[in-house]
Amino acid sequence: MANEKNTVKDLEKSILKNMLFADIAIAILSALWMDEPMPFLLGLIFGSAISALNFKELAITLTKAVNMPPEKAQSFTTRKYFLRYIVTAVVIFVSITAPYINIIGTIIGLVMIKFIILATNLFNDKKFYKNILKRKEDETNGR
Amino acid sequence: MEPITGKALVLACSAIGAGLAMIAGIGPGIGQGYAAGKGAEGVGRQPEAQGDIVRTMLLGAAVAETTGIYGLVIALILLFANPLVKLL
Repeated sequence: MANEKNTVKDLEKSILKNMLFADIAIAILSALWMDEPMPFLLGLIFGSAISALNFKELAITLTKAVNMPPEKAQSFTTRKYFLRYIVTAVVIFVSITAPYINIIGTIIGLVMIKFIILATNLFNDKKFYKNILKRKEDETNGR
Repeated sequence: MEPITGKALVLACSAIGAGLAMIAGIGPGIGQGYAAGKGAEGVGRQPEAQGDIVRTMLLGAAVAETTGIYGLVIALILLFANPLVKLL
């Protein structure tokens, strides 16, 4: 049980670490190319911080949900999703209304976790590229 | 009766557009809930696979969640920072 929890925590840690590296890379690029990078950087930090917290909350929710009866797990996860959705809505609203935060930076911060996950768990796998044009019907066992 | 101005029409259509964009937020919620329910069933059937199930579900749910954020961004920009009004 403790070992299983560790693997989930390791995954969280590795994704959040990659996210931090990507944040730093984007921050450096924006500082080099933009005339006024401060609002963008604030937006990026704001968006990625909320995204990281949402991801952590998602991990806690799912770890709890798998030990519940299926119907209860379904309603519990959906409820928690809408709570996170409201938090995200507040974050986007604040970054739209506040003049010192750039909305583009916030959006990049919020959706960066998706690209990190895709880059570290899907696009780094050679099998994915090999099977991309393969039809399922052509495989011998039908799977 | 006053005629409908261009700005009023754009704002009304933006409000409708924002409402339609918010529909995108419902799908990931239903999907995540369905996945969690099936995950719970899987853990019930094979408790030793809990770590693998949670890990896979976590990655899938995090990717699905950003899809809802896209709709939310469009809706909030249409409502509070509408770029179309400036074009009039």
